[in-house]
Amino acid sequence: MRYLLALCAVSVLALVSGCGGDSEAPKTTVTVKEGSSITIALLPKKKGIAYFTSCAEGAEEAAKALGNVTVIYDGPTDGSPEKAASMIEKWTLKGVDVIAVSPNDPSVLAPAMKAAQAKGIKIITWDADAAPDTRSFFINQATSQQIGEAMVDALIKDMGSVEGQVAIVTATLTAANQNAWIDAMKARLADKYPKVELVAIKPCNEDQKIAFQVAQDLMKAYPDLKGIFGISSVAFPGAAEAIKQAGKSGQVQITGLSTPNAMKNYVKDGTVKSVVLWNTKQLGFLTVLVAIAVKDGTLKAGATEFDAGTLGKKPVVGDQVLLNNLLIFTKDNIDQFDF
Amino acid sequence: MKSSGPNTNESWWRQYNYWHETVLAMLIVGLLLSASVLSPSFTTVKTQVGLSSDMWELALLALPMTLIIITAGIDLSIGSIMALSAVVLGMTFEAGANPWVAAMCGIMAGTACGVFNGLTVAKLKVHPLIVTLATLAAFRGIAEGISLGRPISGFPASFTELGTGTFGGVPIPGLIFGVLALLFAIALARTPFGLSIYAIGHNPLASRYSGLPVARITVAVYALAGTVAGLAAAIYVARRNTAKADIGTGLELDVITAVVLGGTSIFGGSGRILGTLLGVLAIHQTRKFVGWYWDREELNFIVVGVLLIAAVLLNRLFDKKTK
Amino acid sequence: MMFSFLRTREVAVAGLILLTIIVVSCVNGDFFSGQNARDILIAAAPGMIVACGLTLIIVMGEIDISMGALMGLCAAVLGKLVSADHAALPVWAASFIVLALGAGIGLINGLLVTVGKVPSIIATLGMLTALIGVSDLVMAGSTIGNFPDSLRSFAIGQVGFIPVPVLVAVLCIVACVVLTRYTPLGRRMYAVGSNPHAARLAGLPVQRLKLLAFVLTGALTALATLISAPQLDVIEAGFGRQFELLVVTAVVVGGTSISGGMGTIIGSALGVILLSLVRTVLIFLQLGVSATYWERAIQGGFIIAAVLADHVGRKRGGHS
Repeated sequence: MRYLLALCAVSVLALVSGCGGDSEAPKTTVTVKEGSSITIALLPKKKGIAYFTSCAEGAEEAAKALGNVTVIYDGPTDGSPEKAASMIEKWTLKGVDVIAVSPNDPSVLAPAMKAAQAKGIKIITWDADAAPDTRSFFINQATSQQIGEAMVDALIKDMGSVEGQVAIVTATLTAANQNAWIDAMKARLADKYPKVELVAIKPCNEDQKIAFQVAQDLMKAYPDLKGIFGISSVAFPGAAEAIKQAGKSGQVQITGLSTPNAMKNYVKDGTVKSVVLWNTKQLGFLTVLVAIAVKDGTLKAGATEFDAGTLGKKPVVGDQVLLNNLLIFTKDNIDQFDF
Repeated sequence: MKSSGPNTNESWWRQYNYWHETVLAMLIVGLLLSASVLSPSFTTVKTQVGLSSDMWELALLALPMTLIIITAGIDLSIGSIMALSAVVLGMTFEAGANPWVAAMCGIMAGTACGVFNGLTVAKLKVHPLIVTLATLAAFRGIAEGISLGRPISGFPASFTELGTGTFGGVPIPGLIFGVLALLFAIALARTPFGLSIYAIGHNPLASRYSGLPVARITVAVYALAGTVAGLAAAIYVARRNTAKADIGTGLELDVITAVVLGGTSIFGGSGRILGTLLGVLAIHQTRKFVGWYWDREELNFIVVGVLLIAAVLLNRLFDKKTK
Repeated sequence: MMFSFLRTREVAVAGLILLTIIVVSCVNGDFFSGQNARDILIAAAPGMIVACGLTLIIVMGEIDISMGALMGLCAAVLGKLVSADHAALPVWAASFIVLALGAGIGLINGLLVTVGKVPSIIATLGMLTALIGVSDLVMAGSTIGNFPDSLRSFAIGQVGFIPVPVLVAVLCIVACVVLTRYTPLGRRMYAVGSNPHAARLAGLPVQRLKLLAFVLTGALTALATLISAPQLDVIEAGFGRQFELLVVTAVVVGGTSISGGMGTIIGSALGVILLSLVRTVLIFLQLGVSATYWERAIQGGFIIAAVLADHVGRKRGGHS
């Protein structure tokens, strides 16, 4: 029991220390009316992973800068779409003003999102999109198609050749986002790089030990393997470690989506040449601004531009606000990022 | 138990059979009372009805699980059976079948899975924990294999009503659960079938020698779990308008937690539907309140884990006094 | 009679492993390599270590399903203690704390079962659930990295040509085999499992033996974390989740009876290797992209087959 208490204390301390962050007091034109307050529920695909934690930090910064904004950040720690849907239902009953959803499975979440809209709650999506009739705006840092294509292009560039065998290490076989990326990747490969052969798609069940092992086995079973995509935050470092330990850095290329902190060492020692991502804090920050603008009606359908203060003006295309800051982390710039 | 004696004062509570249920009910009432103080909006009827939407699958599965655990068995595969039923439902619908016909196919697939579990337990005499540990992987694996992991949606509104509609203010899944709970309670407490379930859990060997069709009843109980899992899958698919192979992941542990919380002994031979109802309610209310009040998903795990252990410890305490 | 039967069980599992290796090597020659054997053993090491403790628990008629969640907690605490970004404790001190933590959780499990009389599956189910939440709180939503090389050598280092994890696993297995075969303590554990009532009447300290097994399993789980978590540069949330499924299944496939009284350490270790092989084998068979979706079904079918074979074997051996 004493251990448990001590652990709780440790974790509380860690939480508190994590809430600091660099705040340059960003000014924005989005404001909250005097005397009113706004509650925004921010739903990640999976709570507890570094990527979404850093998005939430950005969202908190925005809330602090504006005042009178409460951001509730909660989500399923196991990434279960069913739990995410229940949370949307809970916030609908609670009557929050806006729910910003990063759907881990758009089809499972759709009924809950529609029901919330019917109750007058504004729904926006961020990080990943859902069907247009389930949300008003999508804060688009990249669509599934763009992500898939960016990963394929990055890997081909790192391989330095347009032929050879590649493999994918994914999260689980039922992960909706990953499956959408895989579809985009397959299409891109077939379209632009027909001589690149996708030999295997293997799940790591979100377990870093398994990701490591699967990548190891793939390299042995396919000795001519030229590249691996690690398309979840668990799969990417696991597969990179396998390449490094097999002494195949440079021989087998790997890319994927991940936060820079998790990949720093692999990028520095040359195992990983490029990591695809965007500025997650800005994504969280922009999400809160858009949420407020959607709530008070300043951002309506038909707008072409959204003034995001310190982030500058962001283009609005149809019902999507574009973040436009896809980052490729390389040896040269990765030290500038800390999330 | 002989109760004739001068100590009538003490013996009434020695004879009282419902200690566990009473304590659990008091716990739930206490929770709701403190909830109504801490967050009044939580205890309104509207909130409670709204929050109940994802309780029904858990509640439904807890019914046959109670029977299984009373026979001293266990079923770890019900979450996976749900997934397989849902995928069968989805794929038959996709192939052009009427959604209700598809739902029947899903329920039949669930029943078949249950029969497989039951036969392996009853005829081959493999321990149910082992059988269902294996089918936990196998059934979900088949669901993933035939559906290739993709979601199937687009069910007509007439079908999704099954999951989202209400009848006289009561959610339709709630009505279905109410009827089934009543049937299960009567079957367990008032029929020979129910009595033989207790007998098997209490002493399987004696049951066999006394002429009970032990194997047949065992198969029936597991098959029932499969059928109910199929029904729960249909309700889930209707509610979320999606059939997919990852449905019900980890649900088996929740269901077992609810049943044991409700006072059913994991060693078999004792337990009641009433207790299971309270167990489901306790776990549901606790979880929802923690989520409502703190919005911290991590806390939920801790609270439910501690609640389970605490409830069983408490039960032991009363057990000692009554024995 | 009993011992010869147990030996045949071990031989059967070993035979199945050999058969798998031969068949897959024929299909894909690359499978048969020293490097591959080495990788498979490293991957199986944490499972084998934990299986040693779990076998003792199951032999005594109890069960523990909290190992996966405990692994997650141990990994999170280890990371927080060692990482240069956090407490930056020396590796030996952190390892000691983590081992103590594992043993402590094992002790709580054991006390709940022996003193609290909570059925072991329920006590450890509650522990499993609670620990998932606690480790998420400890991780606080971030990845933990920046470990000293000395920690990483636990998982990727070598002594001579033997990888450290494999060495640790072998030492654990040898120690537990000695414990069960050649000490009175071990024999008492089997006595408790085969007939608890008789054991108690004979004056065996049943509760203390069970407590010991739970503490041992907790400590071994911590040890398994120490040799597997530093395999990677970073520790992510969810480490070890569902690890218990692998170990429980492996112990059963290895011939330990879930109702207690029989089973061997070697059998369990072989069971872990057999199950760890499945994933690798499926990759080497190169069944193509769509076959991936059937992997879990194949794994499940494999377990069913192994369990049913066990059942048939038992009938032949005169046990039912």
